[in-house]
Amino acid sequence: MSETEVKDVQTEPAAPAKSKKAKKEKRMVKMPYERRKALYGYGFIALWLVGTVIWFLYPLFNSLMYSFMDVTPEVGGPQGEWVGLKNYAYVFGGDQYYSRYLASVLWETTWKTPLILIFSLFIAVILNQKFKGRTFARAVFFLPVIIATGPVYNIINGDISRTGASSAGQFSTMFSTDLMGELFQFLGIYGLSDHMQTYVETISNNIFGIVWNAGIQILIFLAALQNIPVSAKEAAQMEGATAWEYFWKITLPYVSPMILACLIFTVIDSFTAPDNLVMGRVLSMQSDWQYGYAAAMAWVYFAIVLAAVGLITWIMNHFIYYEVD
Amino acid sequence: MAKEKPVTAPDGKVIGGGPSQKELRKLRMQSMNAEEKAYLRRKEAMDKVWPIARFVILFGLCFIILYPLIYMISCAFRAQEDMNDPTVMWIPRHFTLRILKETWEAMDYGNTFLRTLLLNVGCSLVQVITCAITGYGFARFRFKGKNLLFGIVLMQILVPSQIIAIPQYMEFRYCLGLQPLMQKISPSLGSAFNLIDSPLTMYLPALMANGIRAGLMIFIFRQFFKGLPKELEDAAYLDGCGPFRTFVQVMVPNAASSFLTVFLFSVVWYWNDYYVSSTFFTKNSTIALMLKNLNTQLAIKLFNSATVELSPREQILWMEAGCLLAVVPLLVMYTFLQKYFTEGIERSGLVG
Repeated sequence: MSETEVKDVQTEPAAPAKSKKAKKEKRMVKMPYERRKALYGYGFIALWLVGTVIWFLYPLFNSLMYSFMDVTPEVGGPQGEWVGLKNYAYVFGGDQYYSRYLASVLWETTWKTPLILIFSLFIAVILNQKFKGRTFARAVFFLPVIIATGPVYNIINGDISRTGASSAGQFSTMFSTDLMGELFQFLGIYGLSDHMQTYVETISNNIFGIVWNAGIQILIFLAALQNIPVSAKEAAQMEGATAWEYFWKITLPYVSPMILACLIFTVIDSFTAPDNLVMGRVLSMQSDWQYGYAAAMAWVYFAIVLAAVGLITWIMNHFIYYEVD
Repeated sequence: MAKEKPVTAPDGKVIGGGPSQKELRKLRMQSMNAEEKAYLRRKEAMDKVWPIARFVILFGLCFIILYPLIYMISCAFRAQEDMNDPTVMWIPRHFTLRILKETWEAMDYGNTFLRTLLLNVGCSLVQVITCAITGYGFARFRFKGKNLLFGIVLMQILVPSQIIAIPQYMEFRYCLGLQPLMQKISPSLGSAFNLIDSPLTMYLPALMANGIRAGLMIFIFRQFFKGLPKELEDAAYLDGCGPFRTFVQVMVPNAASSFLTVFLFSVVWYWNDYYVSSTFFTKNSTIALMLKNLNTQLAIKLFNSATVELSPREQILWMEAGCLLAVVPLLVMYTFLQKYFTEGIERSGLVG
């Protein structure tokens, strides 16, 4: 490295201005260094930038174009004919599944997300306590993180209908039937009343989805809980706060920034899961060579996801407590 | 807290005699007002009930999580006729390795495993390095358009791969438009430039920090490098290090644990991926693809025809055995490196 750069760097940390003149001089010296640093910045991201143009932006642009075209697959690449908004009109008017699937996915995300958040915060609080077997419990709760993204999850979720064996679903791992009953049988308790059974069943069906999708969120909350300063804990103890008060007055404000992170993570996770209905519809359109329709569907969906994430961020930012500044 | 109040003995009797715990407690209770007593009583009750409640909750939930795994193991070792025997719940009556062996053969497990492992580890290594470099660029340098470019990173996290899968397929199939030209020169050159089914479809994007979930990895690295003290680099610059050498010699050693975490997650994501690979591979060349198409594979293997349908109830056995085979490597990795999965995320800046 040249001597001039060393000199430049030395001047940089003395940024707080003493007089206007000195400040001006400093900036004159600083400029080339800053520019050089900026160039290095481009250097660091250059590889990603090239890759992004090739593997991300160009395909993204292409798929946006497809959504306005009648696409026919041909040798040498798909050929398209500009049809304007016809595909979009079809998505909402003509396709009998899309609107229905979209509504059901949106609805499911709406009720499931708060449940996942509450559940994972609850579990994180429990896992943050000291008790025997904590390490094991933690290991088990994070286990879904490494399994739930793969095809294994689809199979154990009773979703092998895709491959043609539709009736296999109800037998497969019996998640869709009676998990709580299984647990009771496993423990040796038989003969619960039918009413109780159905009630527990509906909860348990959802519990599976919730527990299996909460791994990362539990992890994030747990980390946030461990970052609560000891002083806050002690102060609460001195004042004789109960566990309940402690949760609402100390825990919740401190983890609130992480609630946003978890919320966004959960929403994106459920929207982009390959096993969700809208994605399934898009994929089946693609396998029918209906690229135009598929692209239009995907884009409508993506616009909704983007809007949802933006809206959530905007709303949540009003409720978050930041300790610093 | 109220409990820790020193006991003052009003009549001197207490100090000399040394009262039992019970008497002490009674005395202490007497010196409290009703509110404090109620608080203590509640606290005591909670201290007794809560561990039991906690155990029940955790046990139940752990059961839900472990249920599929227990079931997999139970299924993989039982014989076909046990499926139709209602008395068999968990422990198979006819213990056999036949199902496992057939699934192993149908999946061509040995070869597929090695191929998948090689592909996953290779891609992950490359991608972790490129993503770290990119993340560092975003964390520490100021340049024009940085916010816009970082916006694109966030877009990469948000955009489902399904949207761009088909144009990407075209890029690989025709190699960015090069393939038709090559085809004209010679057919063999043409087929060499058709990248579908080649591992390059995975390596090329990974090499340019655009592989599976690369956006998320760049984001994690950026957060992490932002959290490191700036003095580290300033010291290196003063000693005459260029930015890239500073990155390699000063920043990377500090980031070792987060490198490992991201690498592990990357291996898991590549291992589990079946959507992207099913777009680019026509053969079942990874474990995930094998598992996804296990039905057909089995039919071919067992009946020499792709169209025969097994009875769904019995089919479960093979499916579960396949699941077990696909999950075991992950489980082994997770058991030994659990610490890095959980602690790593906390430290690697996804948080805060």
